Amino acid sequence: MARSVLAWVCGVAATLGATALATSWMLVGGDRRPLLIGATTDAHHQIELACETCHDAPPFANTAAATQALNATCRDCHEAALRASDDSHAPRLFRSPRMASYLQAIDARLCTSCHIEHRPETTRASAVTVAADFCAACHSEGDQDVRQARPSHATATLDNCTTAGCHNYHDNRALYEDFLVRHGTAPWLAATPVHALGAASRAPQPPQAVTVASAHPAPAAALSDPEPLREWRGSGHATAGVGCIACHAPSLASDAALGAVETHWIAAPDTAACRDCHQEQATTFAEGRHGMRRHPLVAPARDPDQGLAALGLDGRLPPSVLAWFADPPRPLRMTVAEARLPMREDAAHRSLDCGTCHAPHAVDARHAAADGCAACHDDAHSRAYFDSPHHALWRAELVGDAPPGTGVSCATCHMAKVERRGEVFTSHNQSETLRPNEKMIRPVCLDCHGIAFAIDALADVTLVARNFQGKPSVHVESVDWALRRAKGDGN
Amino acid sequence: MRQQTPKSAKFAFGILALAAAGVAVAAEGISHRKAADMLYLVMSSDRAVYARKVVQRLTRDAELLTASEHFEDDAALPLPAQMFRFGAELAADKTEDFSYSLLSLHPVNKKNGPGTPLEEEGLQFVADNPGQHFYGEEALGGQRYFTAVYPDIAVAEACVNCHNNHKDSPRTDAKLGDVMGGVVIRIVME
Repeated sequence: MARSVLAWVCGVAATLGATALATSWMLVGGDRRPLLIGATTDAHHQIELACETCHDAPPFANTAAATQALNATCRDCHEAALRASDDSHAPRLFRSPRMASYLQAIDARLCTSCHIEHRPETTRASAVTVAADFCAACHSEGDQDVRQARPSHATATLDNCTTAGCHNYHDNRALYEDFLVRHGTAPWLAATPVHALGAASRAPQPPQAVTVASAHPAPAAALSDPEPLREWRGSGHATAGVGCIACHAPSLASDAALGAVETHWIAAPDTAACRDCHQEQATTFAEGRHGMRRHPLVAPARDPDQGLAALGLDGRLPPSVLAWFADPPRPLRMTVAEARLPMREDAAHRSLDCGTCHAPHAVDARHAAADGCAACHDDAHSRAYFDSPHHALWRAELVGDAPPGTGVSCATCHMAKVERRGEVFTSHNQSETLRPNEKMIRPVCLDCHGIAFAIDALADVTLVARNFQGKPSVHVESVDWALRRAKGDGN
Repeated sequence: MRQQTPKSAKFAFGILALAAAGVAVAAEGISHRKAADMLYLVMSSDRAVYARKVVQRLTRDAELLTASEHFEDDAALPLPAQMFRFGAELAADKTEDFSYSLLSLHPVNKKNGPGTPLEEEGLQFVADNPGQHFYGEEALGGQRYFTAVYPDIAVAEACVNCHNNHKDSPRTDAKLGDVMGGVVIRIVME
């Protein structure tokens, strides 16, 4: 009897203790890794312990309010990209009451209808967690039945609409019918294949006359190693007139006296120094997979005092107990070891910042565009690049045998060039052209290739793995159908 | 530098503001029917102004621009029907008190065909009874709505030509003055 009572007491005490601990981790602070209910999706795994980034509903909010709050955080980070993609299924298209019957099948107003986090067992590419035939929910009955509306789709099974190279749920800018018709007859390779924005960004710049000793003083200790100075002399910074002070003592004017420079010298400038001049690159870096921990909307580590104050416990706990409520450190830099893609073992210790790809003094964008990637990435596609026709073109451009814009580096495809108000910059947000890979067609592929070839090539998984060594072995019929229908044959 | 609000956004906000004013009046005691009529008056007036003073003037008259379904890719003006729908989408993003749509029994895009029995009945009514409006009530998604349907008439040759020649159009014999479809306005009933 006594043993039974003791067991009950211990059990209840253990349950209450575990509940109190979990509640304190949720509401006050502490290491919440035990509370993760399932592995997060790729990319989001970098910020999975910044729970409030997504879960920002007030504690104990009801399900509807929590769902709305959760979806609002999705839009906070992803809405700009979706708007830019001319989202084919934007939530605003489903807000009319006349869409009520469709919403019963899939509530297209909510991101979480198709993308649920922490569900690795049902998560497919692009973090999709809805069944592969989800299109059938709305496009298989009545006037919306594509099998009835289009003879070419009569036998469609509706389970591969978004995976066969024909359609995407959100971004169809390169796949809509009239676009296919307009570009559908282009040859597989243009007569003079040049990536226009790549050419614009790599056009030779007139050098500016600068000398490091007279215009840009630096502490003697910093100049004791001649290598940084040697690298700098051949860099883009040197030709642009950007000297030591600009990064190492950014608060000073370029003609500051040596004494002031020595006082304000920063031995190892961080990304903030780069951002001063490269704002677009720094902003997009924080939006992409390499730098998303720096995104301004990622929740910072919690201040346990705030949570304890809400419970009336602020200032009443000894430091040893308070330490339990400290969020674990969250480094801004992701390490290569944390990546989910195959990476080089000897790069595991590296962490990601501007200087990881751009050697801080050489700042050679050409190195960062391909060799810099290969310093870490070790998947089949990355390795095959160096034997690919694209790489041969890139090498030819680098050595001056071919004009700017003819070479194709990793960055050409995965770090889109963007033109704004006449200026071209490199977006450091890989997601802009990454998945679905048809997003790459308009900003990259079509400058050199016909759309039919590009769609086939991107749909050929083995060809992608070989980094486009050879021709596509699969054929997506969408361009054929579009061209036939434009001629009036009823497809 | 001060950012310029795009003309399309100003136009859509204009519709939204005037429409919201109409609903507010309804709340003060004006009937749903009167409120819907007022909303339609604002919408149809703005639609006519855009079609004539912007699209027709800059395309057919001045030959400065074109109007295109793919206006972003073509650096062209949005079609009047697209302009109307963009306003409707923006309004739907801001309020659930009312909504409006441009629908047809012969839609170029099938999603703009009748989606409820009352829409079908209303669109057929305005097609069969030129100059008349249709009013009814319906329940959608657990909510009751006052629904009004107004005829959308082909007022310019460009409307007729585009609809008759579009590869997705199920109707190719439209003429000036024909009822091409209808504006459907829904107001939430308490």
